[in-house]
Amino acid sequence: MNAIASQISVGLSIASILLLIALGLAIIYGTMGVINLAHGDFVMLGAYSVWFLQKQFGMNLITTLPFVFLIVGGVGWLAERLLIRHLYQRPLDTILATWGIGVILQQAIRLFAGAELRYVKMPQFLINPVHIFGYEDSAYRIFIFALAIALLVATYLLIYRTEFGLRMRAITQNRDVSRCFGINAGRIYALTFAYGAGLAGIAGALVSPLKSVAPDMGTSYVVDAFLVVVLGGVQSLLGTVASSYVIGQADGVLASLSDDTIAKAVVFLGVVVLIRLFPQGLFAMRVRRS
Amino acid sequence: MISQRQTTHRLAAYAVFCVVILLVPLFVSDAYLLNKFARYIVFGILSLALSLSWGYAGILNLGQAVSFGLGSYCMAMALKLRTIPIQTGAGGLPDFMVWNNVHTLPWFWEPFHSYAFTLFAGLAVPAVIAFLIGWFIFRARVSGVYVAIITLAMLVVINLVIIDQQRYTGGFNGITDLTTFKLFGVEFGAYSVATYYLAAVILTLLLFLGLALMNSKTGLILQAIRDDETRVRYFGYDVANYQNFIFCVSAAVAGLAGMLYTLVMEFASPTFLAVPISLSIVIWCAVGGRASLLGAALGAIVVTGVQGSLSDSKTFLDTWMLIMGALFIVVVLFLPNGLISIGDVIRGRRQRRRRAAPARMPEHAEIAAPGRSAAR
Amino acid sequence: MSNEPILELRDVAVDFSGFRAINGLNLQVAKGELRCLIGPNGAGKTTALDVICGKVRARAGRITLMGQDITRLPEYKIARRGVGRKFQVPSVFRELTVRDNLEVAYCKRLGVFANVRRLGRSAERNDLEKLAELVGLEDVLDERAGYLSHGQTQWLEIALLLAQDSGIILLDEPTAGMTAQETMHTAKIVNALKGRHTLLVVEHDMAFVREISDIITVMHQGRVLAEGSASEIQGDPAVREAYLGQRGIAHA
Repeated sequence: MNAIASQISVGLSIASILLLIALGLAIIYGTMGVINLAHGDFVMLGAYSVWFLQKQFGMNLITTLPFVFLIVGGVGWLAERLLIRHLYQRPLDTILATWGIGVILQQAIRLFAGAELRYVKMPQFLINPVHIFGYEDSAYRIFIFALAIALLVATYLLIYRTEFGLRMRAITQNRDVSRCFGINAGRIYALTFAYGAGLAGIAGALVSPLKSVAPDMGTSYVVDAFLVVVLGGVQSLLGTVASSYVIGQADGVLASLSDDTIAKAVVFLGVVVLIRLFPQGLFAMRVRRS
Repeated sequence: MISQRQTTHRLAAYAVFCVVILLVPLFVSDAYLLNKFARYIVFGILSLALSLSWGYAGILNLGQAVSFGLGSYCMAMALKLRTIPIQTGAGGLPDFMVWNNVHTLPWFWEPFHSYAFTLFAGLAVPAVIAFLIGWFIFRARVSGVYVAIITLAMLVVINLVIIDQQRYTGGFNGITDLTTFKLFGVEFGAYSVATYYLAAVILTLLLFLGLALMNSKTGLILQAIRDDETRVRYFGYDVANYQNFIFCVSAAVAGLAGMLYTLVMEFASPTFLAVPISLSIVIWCAVGGRASLLGAALGAIVVTGVQGSLSDSKTFLDTWMLIMGALFIVVVLFLPNGLISIGDVIRGRRQRRRRAAPARMPEHAEIAAPGRSAAR
Repeated sequence: MSNEPILELRDVAVDFSGFRAINGLNLQVAKGELRCLIGPNGAGKTTALDVICGKVRARAGRITLMGQDITRLPEYKIARRGVGRKFQVPSVFRELTVRDNLEVAYCKRLGVFANVRRLGRSAERNDLEKLAELVGLEDVLDERAGYLSHGQTQWLEIALLLAQDSGIILLDEPTAGMTAQETMHTAKIVNALKGRHTLLVVEHDMAFVREISDIITVMHQGRVLAEGSASEIQGDPAVREAYLGQRGIAHA
């Protein structure tokens, strides 16, 4: 029983990280139709930001989080303003441009922070295990889970309960009409992109004490997150949440049965097969497309 | 009749290029330099392969390196089995297997004792994998951007698996210490003129075969699919078949490039099917001109040539990648059809100015909701 | 004209996430007939064409073509059985030349490998040039389709359908955005196709409809409201009711 509980907890923490990354991807794709291949590098940038802030100012991981969000969000904002906004008519080319941005970020980090692995300290009070419902669990894992839920709720409120979210949804429906009603599409796009990037940065910050921090760490995260988006579809937050959970748990369980690599391969094959059966993702709605 | 003249110009450009690469060994006697050139030519073939699927059919395969790497491993396996290393197990077991406590040759290594099988497998293995992936994604009609994501995911996963299965693949080190490839009495050593010619002749053949393919009706239909795949369906074509066909052809060509690459480099490594190579292929293709076979090949040769002539140091390579990333973005933004299209762009401008007066451009045909159209 | 329907829709229903676009649609079209589909916005006219050519799937009901069920076939198989479609927003291959557009549409053989070997395309050249002449595009054969004017693009798409040579042609607002003169020319072309092809035309322009149609079907709220000749339709009180607020059918 205890083994199962801890298995679920491991799966949940993987799923929480995935959710934060995939949420940003899905929002960016859903709103502006841009597949952001630099997303993994935003995760990496988040991890490096923590490392830098810790080294330079001796900050605690938790106090760095708001700064990480602002730094990575800022980079995302710049990327959208300088480059991506020129490519909205050519969706396939946004993949290329964002890939280019990813390369530049990675190489810049390599040149300025060095290619060697970096390590980040976990906050002292989260290292010890805690007892919950009679089980022992890592406090840090619970912290990750709670933060992911909080950010999910915040995102939900942002999209469905604020003026900004209303405008964002309007633009998603019809950009040109929204413009006629005086919505500044450019501003909304830039902020949406920044928000998605910021979430990825937070995810990077959260994984930084668990794994070593390296310039190319983003690739594997972004691939998993893409699988989440592909599986969940981009039309609903619920789809993203559910498919993060499914993939996170599958990853966790398969990894415990064999190893990480086999787990990844099986999850990938599973997603490819599922796509054949549900081309719009598992949680798609039927809409009329003209 | 404009198109007739353009066709002639194009054929002439292809012919000039091929003559130039075939004449190179007459002027270059330095074996080290010739080996470098052979490498660039191989990259040219690889870039051409991507142009077939991406440039002509709109299938952006971010996992092209999978085909390349698998081709390379096929050749390396065959050469490894013919090597007589210092430490061998029973029955000429490859050295890394001995170190990993493998006692019998795995079944999938067995057929690589035959060169004929190897040459076939170097083309067929990538093509079959492409076919299987293609069968799922093209039948499901996922949009172009999803194809890009899934091929990228495939690349990352296969790369991990190859590194992970060290006992059978040599893991992180790849397959090294290979003998020289010999066919019909000719030795294709890495630094030999023969290997250079092999690569150059293959590139020449592929350029003209590719051109013929793209001028056939199938090529035309593929270009129509790139333009508007839904519309093609309403003419009765099974679009998924066409897409999968070119996807497999492209994979086989990349596999061929991979086999050549093993000859040129004298080893196979998991870095051959890693993300950076795949990224480079896309960059070459985009910089040179994705919708032109010659443009794509030239893109690879010029970019890697410039890179190779500058320096090989680590810091330089990091800076170089940074510059490539920036160049890539600039090309994507301002020259979607690559450097080879500069002439067309100028000509197009002039033409549009000429027809500006009577033009009644359709106003609402251009409008497409950006988010949704991508999702189709 | 034979009475045997070539195309038949029986109790067809289409949903979009709960919204009933078509609900119990019954339609019979005889061979060689030219049928016009009219109705207020949102009546389900375009969706009716979509469901016939396989673009959307029917939730219920049956669609038969020459007695054979095509309800669940994918688009390309329906096209192969002889259904051609023109879209509301003219849909041609903008990157290709007019000639290449026509060649794509001219498809006697559809397989990948059959078409790999087709290098010389001269055999069909004459046919295609004749088609281009018919719709007045013979001077722009080597232009890219993206450079054509709106009217020319509409012509090109009609020419594509002729090259495809389908038994049944579905036209979705073929005169949208055309001048009165262009509209009359379109009517001429459409009239020339009558008899040889079976046509199903969705149209708003009543002048055009009167010019071409035998029987008009009026759709409202996803089903057939009335069917008959132009004058019968205009006298029908139910039709007037449906168009209420749009000042009668003539201005629809």
